[in-house]
Amino acid sequence: MSESTIDRTVLPIRRPPFGGQTKKTLEGSVPDWNQAGHVQPPAGAPNVLLVLIDDAGFGNPSTFGGPIDTPNYSRMAEEGLRYNRFHVTAICSPTRAALLTGRNHHRVGFGMVGEFAGPFPGYNATIPRDCASLPRILSDNGYVTGAFGKWHLTPSKQQGSSGPFTRWPTGSSWGFDYFWGFLGGEAGQYDPLIAENQKLIGVPESTEDDPYYFPDDLTDKTIDWIHRVRAERPSGPWFAYYATGCSHAPHHVPKEWADKYKGRFDEGWDVLREKTLARQKELGVVPADTELPENDEFPKWDSLTETEQRLYARQMETYAGYSENADWNVGRVLAAIEEMGELDNTVVIWIWGDNGASMEGTLTGTFNELTTLNGIPLTPEQQMGLLFKHGGLEAWGGDLLAPHYAAAWAWASNCPFDWGKQVASHLGGTRNPLVVRYPAQVSDPGGLRSQFTHVIDVAPTVLELAGIPEPTRVDGIEQELFNGFTFADSLADANAPERHTQQYFEAVGNRGMYKDGWWLAMRLPRIPWLLDPEALRHFGPGWDPDADPVELYYLPDDFSQARDLAAKHPEKVEELRKLFWEEAERYHVLPILGGLSSFYGVVPPIPKDSTFTYRGRIENVAVGMMPRIYNHSYTISADLIVPEGGAEGVIVAAFDHLGGFALYVLDGKLKHHYSMLGVLEYTQAAETPLPTGDVYVEMVFAADAPKPATGGEVTLLVNGEPVASGRMEHTVPGMFSGYAGMDIGCDNGLVVDRAYADKAPFRFTGEIKQVTFDIAPHMSAEDMQALHEHAQQTLAAHAASA
Amino acid sequence: MSDTGQLDIQIAVYLVPDLAQQDFDAYVKLVGEGAIATDGVVLVTKDADGEVTVQETGDHLGRKGLKVGGGVGLVVGLFAPPLLAATALGAAAGAVLGKLGRKRLEAGIGEKMDDALPPGSAGIIAIYDHDDAEAVAGALGNTIRSSIAQIDKASAKELKAGLEEASAGLAG
Repeated sequence: MSESTIDRTVLPIRRPPFGGQTKKTLEGSVPDWNQAGHVQPPAGAPNVLLVLIDDAGFGNPSTFGGPIDTPNYSRMAEEGLRYNRFHVTAICSPTRAALLTGRNHHRVGFGMVGEFAGPFPGYNATIPRDCASLPRILSDNGYVTGAFGKWHLTPSKQQGSSGPFTRWPTGSSWGFDYFWGFLGGEAGQYDPLIAENQKLIGVPESTEDDPYYFPDDLTDKTIDWIHRVRAERPSGPWFAYYATGCSHAPHHVPKEWADKYKGRFDEGWDVLREKTLARQKELGVVPADTELPENDEFPKWDSLTETEQRLYARQMETYAGYSENADWNVGRVLAAIEEMGELDNTVVIWIWGDNGASMEGTLTGTFNELTTLNGIPLTPEQQMGLLFKHGGLEAWGGDLLAPHYAAAWAWASNCPFDWGKQVASHLGGTRNPLVVRYPAQVSDPGGLRSQFTHVIDVAPTVLELAGIPEPTRVDGIEQELFNGFTFADSLADANAPERHTQQYFEAVGNRGMYKDGWWLAMRLPRIPWLLDPEALRHFGPGWDPDADPVELYYLPDDFSQARDLAAKHPEKVEELRKLFWEEAERYHVLPILGGLSSFYGVVPPIPKDSTFTYRGRIENVAVGMMPRIYNHSYTISADLIVPEGGAEGVIVAAFDHLGGFALYVLDGKLKHHYSMLGVLEYTQAAETPLPTGDVYVEMVFAADAPKPATGGEVTLLVNGEPVASGRMEHTVPGMFSGYAGMDIGCDNGLVVDRAYADKAPFRFTGEIKQVTFDIAPHMSAEDMQALHEHAQQTLAAHAASA
Repeated sequence: MSDTGQLDIQIAVYLVPDLAQQDFDAYVKLVGEGAIATDGVVLVTKDADGEVTVQETGDHLGRKGLKVGGGVGLVVGLFAPPLLAATALGAAAGAVLGKLGRKRLEAGIGEKMDDALPPGSAGIIAIYDHDDAEAVAGALGNTIRSSIAQIDKASAKELKAGLEEASAGLAG
């Protein structure tokens, strides 16, 4: 079938009519080999490498004037183009969903992140069937497609072996041919829980001599896939989506990378902003008259103690090294493609950040990012004390911490803009660097493009460069056209018309409305790094969003939103406000804060299951699939067979030393260890060894009361007899970890109790017949509802910061 | 200045060794100037590779300062890991020492300091007249956590003798 006869607007592309003839036998029959072939892409369709960096700002990479050395990004820019007015949604999954569908994030159910599947169309984390994804379209048009690294588009309750798999990367909703990476919003870079296609394959092995590092492995896997595809299919394009977990917390990077930046941030964030702006002007990526907006929420560097300055400087050194490592790893992918002779036939689209840099580390930064999420406020002194306890300043970036830098570094990272991640009303959250390299079309390598562009424009642009039309029907379902616009012609023409003239923004209640250069900023009057019931109470019943203060900017004259014109142009304010509500209705943005509905009593039905039994070897249970043991009494029991001579090892372990629990046998004795996010730790230990033969052990936690972070009494029992007890004054109220998993019979990845770290994964040497969690709440309906709401709020809060 | 008859034992920990050195120098300077009286002060630093260095006052302290002499062992002996660990957790100083008691302190003499300090950190232990507490607080301003206990001078002498003896044993 010739290209002209293929209708690519209806997918899957129909098999061509049989062009041969059939007779009773082969004698006289005329074959048509098109019947046996698969769809071919349009002639000359290029490879596409789509790179997405995580939680990073406009002012981070040196390519855009930032302090972080990004030679590979700069090379792509020098051989391609910089786009300095490219926008994202200000939060993670929404940007990814928009990127991969060409539609606004709420339109495809991703007003919030993937973990949270809410009860409104704009927040259900379910891509509608009338919005086919870019990988699906490319695959149906003959591309080979692979996704690598961070995914973050599958609800946390569906990340287990029981599926459903529709919303996994290779599921029917997204349509990638291959996936390797992690499903959630973040991962420990030293001990990620890896999924491949539709299976969790576990935590990679790591030793002191040969430590594991996810970004390196991610890159190896990507290169391996490209090599294999090309080996088996010498011609034909591929589409690789390389989404590194860097620079999202935890900020993990080997020390030598962080040490490259020693001393480079000693002047602090105020000076960094000034110097970054100066370099940006020199490079020409911002206009010469760009000003720095001020923000009193961030402390002046000079107001800090010397210890604070030294700590915070190290935080940024680590972040910078972590980010440079990402550039280096992308460079390895580029080098592999170049070595294959295919770089010039590859469209490289590289977005530095799915949102602005993250301020979720709070004003101090934190040794464990989960403390903030769990609503555990820590003073600077407490943070430093806990850092001291967990390894000190030298440990920042290593596997003993799950660190996040201070919010003001994020602010400086987003230079020259104000605010950052979550804050969709401002460019600090929404404007990120974009570089495109495609020599076949770029007319002026090293050039700058300033058309207003948005992440939803990427899919239509890719299709145009591939020569593939936008489908009108997929699987028999009429498609909603892309909400974005192609900017393919801007590759060749610096003065190409600006098609994207109007765009709404919304994330966690922060709203923006752009039209023809004007930008109405409607920031939720809330500190972005505080996400708890008290901070959100104001936005419950009775809240009038239109009564909140607004800011108005005219971007052609004010690149960085430094000059508020709201008072001068009330008519423009009203015009854009009205337009926002129209767009919000059109794209399912309503209700505002629909992704945080659990803070206002809108929660899913209380789960009925309260007993969970794990038989045999079940390892690497994702955090979202864990029984919820939080804030009430529960029992973990196990049926064991202990051989003559005794046994040792882990019976059950969940997460790690910065938050988790383990029931294990060491020196023949039953022990329970519980880490309250690394802030407090409790251990109960039997004094006598386990008996041999059939042994029934229990860990009973009797909560003081069904309430968040409740204290309570722990009793360990062996064959029904108490063998140890102890009190846990505070327990984890919301979530132990953002990424680690639970194992039966061992402790994969970083261990819960460092006491057996040298024996990791410390497999149980006896037999575990089964482990049972009994989380039956045994409480009043009112208490149960209250705790359920708390659990949902935690999930939503994590979602907002993931 | 009134004499309360009390001695303060302060343990201060530092995230940044050179800031500890800065405080240590400030403390010694105060002693040298006669602004505070001390029974000794020790700086323990642990570099990024885990190497521990101990720096102590010598016999050169000023006229108000107590001559430490062989007092090397006094503060070193106080530097017991359980005490420091509790400090890092933020336990109240008085409670810490109250619970540990003198016997515990003595028992800690043989402990290795590097169990208590993470790489790239430091600690200072100082013993001084309680009346000088304000001046000492000013000198040790870069600490991230400190723990202060009070003992009476009489028992301090007894403690000192025991610690010196144990310290001599350590030297062997």
